[in-house]
Amino acid sequence: MLRALAHRLGQAVATAIALATLCFAAIHALPGNLALQVAAARFGDERVTQEAADRVRRQEGLDAPLALQYGRWMAGIARGELGRSLVSGRPVAEELAHHARFTIQLGAAGWLLSYVLALPLGLVAGFRPGGWLDRAAGGLAVALASLPSFLVGIGLVTVFALGLRILPPAGFRTGAHMVLPALTLALSLAAFSIPVVRDAVVEARAAFFLTYARMKGLGAAAAFLHHGARNAAIPVVTFAALQFTLVIDGFVVIETLFNYPGLGDLLVKSLVARDVPVIMGAGLLVGLAFALVNLAADLLCLWLDPRRRREAEP
Amino acid sequence: MTDALAVEGLRIRDAGGNALVDDISFAIRRGGALTLIGETGSGKSLVALAMLGLLPSGMKATGTITLAGERPLDAADGRGLKALWRRHLMLVPQEPAAALDPIMRVRRQLALAGLLGAKIDVAMRAVDLEEEDGGKFGFELSGGMAQRVLVATALGTGAPVVVADEPTKCLDPERVGQVIGLLRRLLLDGRSLFVITHDRRLAQSLPGQLAILHGGRIVEHGRAEDVIAAPRSAFGRAWMASDPAAWPSCARSCDRSRLALSAHGLSFAWPGRPPLFRELDLHLPRGGILGIDGPSGCGKTTLGDVLLGLRRPSAGSVEWAGEDIVGRPDAIRPMRRRYQKLHQEPAAAFIPGVPLRRQFEALRLVVPGFDALRALPELLDRLKLRHALVDRRPEELSGGEAQRMSLARVLALDPRVIIADEPTSRLDPVVQRETMALLREQVEARGISVVLVSHDASLLRAIADETISLARAPGVPA
Amino acid sequence: MRIAPPRRAAGLAAAIAALACLGPLAAPMNPLEQDLMRVMEPPGARHWLGTDHVGRDVLSRVLAGAPYSLGLALLSVGMSASTGTLLGLVAANSGAAGRAVVMRLADLVLAFPGLLLALLLSGLFGGGVLPMLAGLHLAMWPQYARMADATATSTLREGHVEAARLAGFPEWIILLRHVLPRVLRTLAPLAILGTGQAIMSIAALGFLGLGLRPPTPEWGAMISDLLPFLAEGVVQVAAPCAAIFATVLALSLAGRSLAGSSMPPRVR
Repeated sequence: MLRALAHRLGQAVATAIALATLCFAAIHALPGNLALQVAAARFGDERVTQEAADRVRRQEGLDAPLALQYGRWMAGIARGELGRSLVSGRPVAEELAHHARFTIQLGAAGWLLSYVLALPLGLVAGFRPGGWLDRAAGGLAVALASLPSFLVGIGLVTVFALGLRILPPAGFRTGAHMVLPALTLALSLAAFSIPVVRDAVVEARAAFFLTYARMKGLGAAAAFLHHGARNAAIPVVTFAALQFTLVIDGFVVIETLFNYPGLGDLLVKSLVARDVPVIMGAGLLVGLAFALVNLAADLLCLWLDPRRRREAEP
Repeated sequence: MTDALAVEGLRIRDAGGNALVDDISFAIRRGGALTLIGETGSGKSLVALAMLGLLPSGMKATGTITLAGERPLDAADGRGLKALWRRHLMLVPQEPAAALDPIMRVRRQLALAGLLGAKIDVAMRAVDLEEEDGGKFGFELSGGMAQRVLVATALGTGAPVVVADEPTKCLDPERVGQVIGLLRRLLLDGRSLFVITHDRRLAQSLPGQLAILHGGRIVEHGRAEDVIAAPRSAFGRAWMASDPAAWPSCARSCDRSRLALSAHGLSFAWPGRPPLFRELDLHLPRGGILGIDGPSGCGKTTLGDVLLGLRRPSAGSVEWAGEDIVGRPDAIRPMRRRYQKLHQEPAAAFIPGVPLRRQFEALRLVVPGFDALRALPELLDRLKLRHALVDRRPEELSGGEAQRMSLARVLALDPRVIIADEPTSRLDPVVQRETMALLREQVEARGISVVLVSHDASLLRAIADETISLARAPGVPA
Repeated sequence: MRIAPPRRAAGLAAAIAALACLGPLAAPMNPLEQDLMRVMEPPGARHWLGTDHVGRDVLSRVLAGAPYSLGLALLSVGMSASTGTLLGLVAANSGAAGRAVVMRLADLVLAFPGLLLALLLSGLFGGGVLPMLAGLHLAMWPQYARMADATATSTLREGHVEAARLAGFPEWIILLRHVLPRVLRTLAPLAILGTGQAIMSIAALGFLGLGLRPPTPEWGAMISDLLPFLAEGVVQVAAPCAAIFATVLALSLAGRSLAGSSMPPRVR
């Protein structure tokens, strides 16, 4: 088991290095003169001159050979130095930390809320497969899965903010501002987790060992508790952990829609403003977070399911 | 003395109203046993399911089921039958592994059956389970071990009547002895047994009564030794005759001077494992039948693959018509289609979902001048297959039909040698005999040599000229 | 299932492609023509879905947007599925080394959240059709490669492949007749669902301003433009929303019925 851990940790590190390299390559492969763009961002499009661009080139070390720049870039990352934002001038690491806090709050709230919705619904649907609740839940899940998250958000805004006027539509001042974004995220996630819970319950209940447990003398509730629940929990927990990756996928759009000052909002604004250092930093951070979450999910599965432990052992 | 179990007039109908099983009546006295034999699909398992109230939805049962000390229950009374679980009736199901929770340890599963501390040890010892087996998870158990846990559960929970549904189905065929031992243990404990099986050897080894199910009805019923010695029904006779020990041996002439296939000093070992076979010598004359015998996991299939040039041996040579083919693809190529295989799974050689006719027509690519339109009808006739079958898909054929169709395909390739890897072990006993007879007939007519791989020693004795026995590989679990 | 999944998928793809092409032709008015005298008009006889904030006919814009939202999605999935199938088959057929290369590459791409990859690429290169197409293609091919490899590898172990080899059939015929049909059948539901997801991704990118830019009538961009005017013109905002929802829903239902389960096939 320890070997599996080490192996996956190694994979995560390798992924991080590859990502950083990719970011570097992408930036330098962009069309247009990088120094010129940085200078234009700094001084304004109209006032940029060739000498200003040359000055920027020297200052930012863009005249050094590519290999040297790569070395400096990697070393900088290891130290946590990601440069400075072209827009605000503040260190990228600072900007990222400031915005990441909001995103983490939103992500956690949305994820938890989605399970508050999905678990009961999926459980009841799974207990009566084919019943009206099951079909309704299934239909709801399909409909939600067919709506991009920003549409879900728009719908919620229309109903709660504009229609009923009980929640603020955008920005972030009070806790209430987090409700709609979190709910939007929760619904988008629930689209996938409701069927997972439902299928897990159906499969666990249909398993022959559950019938056999009844034959051994266990009552219906006891049989499900001892045998059904534990077996059903595995796919559900596995999926729940993996869903964090969906969170990462969706938060960009949701934050933009609600003007929620998280990482996604920062990323989009930086892309539009061509704030290269921030883009690279944010992309790297997200990629790393993704790798870490996957690693954590993997380890959780290994711990829960003794079958996977055997597979993991070489 | 009242009977432990009495079934009267049991009839099971499917959703369309057709009777799958009709007028089943029998009684088992205390401490007695009854074995119900029949072919796959004859409805034997349905009888067991009906007794437990577990018939799939859509099926309806009528009749009476009576257990000692209880009032007679109507077969349709699902709830009443389920109430008999554990106290009166216990099941040893068909697929033992499926009945155990894969992620729970064995000891805990036995404890949940109501066995307390010491009783668990007693039950485990009674079925030859070690103490360390108690700590294993459900998914770690082999089919045989899982079955032992189930019998331990039956012993521990004390139900007077135990139903064993196809106990040999998911086990290696040579484990019949273990199953017989387990069932005898239950009888020794004073239980009454109702065993359902299609395995001839099991049926012949159990005491008590024997009943034969055919066409949905019991066509024969009596004391086991009487039925075995002198079956009265036509099907009963055919069933008993499917025992290869009863087949007449036939003399054949084969040309010992010309070898179709031979091997010298053949050894094979998987990397990092002890060898499956070493220094093996083998001679197969034209028109001869060579048997290869041994328990599962001993390397019989691998030997077949090596002889066919599909795998390289660790050492030694394989000669096709005198020419060594080991590691020489250019030597293999001209003779490739002359050395063929008949698979264990009847339909395995065909692409699922594609009509058989098309698959036969494709053979044109490898057999020059092969015209499916002309050659097929004759081939099908010889193998007693209906012509219409060739327009079906492989999965739509029965086991026996599929295996004969596979044989047709192999014969269309005009082979010199066929390696038949347990070609009939997945078939019912009566069908087994017919298929074997056909194989022998066709092979003799064309002078084809056969290597017959099987675990069934009596089958090999009846058919093969000569048999090579491979011992069990070390490290394979018992 | 009487009609084979790959054929159904192809039929569906053809239908979508037809919609994508015919959409702009069915538009009653010029989707780019502005009329500042008729801004944010409610639905009426002349403009069935009203006009947007610069007076353009919303119905025409929605119809004209079809090739971008649907056509691009179809194209990107087609490219990804083809690349993925090819690489997957190569991986299954080469030895351990070749397989490792392809799978590591796939893992590397999969290590990054899908939309984000497309987003970064698209955004960095300034939006537009080609960067978006490239981004989506890059983000999507690994799932198809993984599935193709897994299906091909397991099929190659089956009895009929061994029987064909024994009969002397060359390896390429075995791949074509034994393996490829099975791979296509497994990939078909994934591709159908993938098209739905691609439509959503394209819309999301448009919404963020990082995909196709105005005045291109892409649905996501349209929603983004009209969102500030939500209070005055609900219909104008709802129209592209409904278009997205309807197409993706149809694809989701089709894909799930093919896959035969209530859950979309997950490759991870």
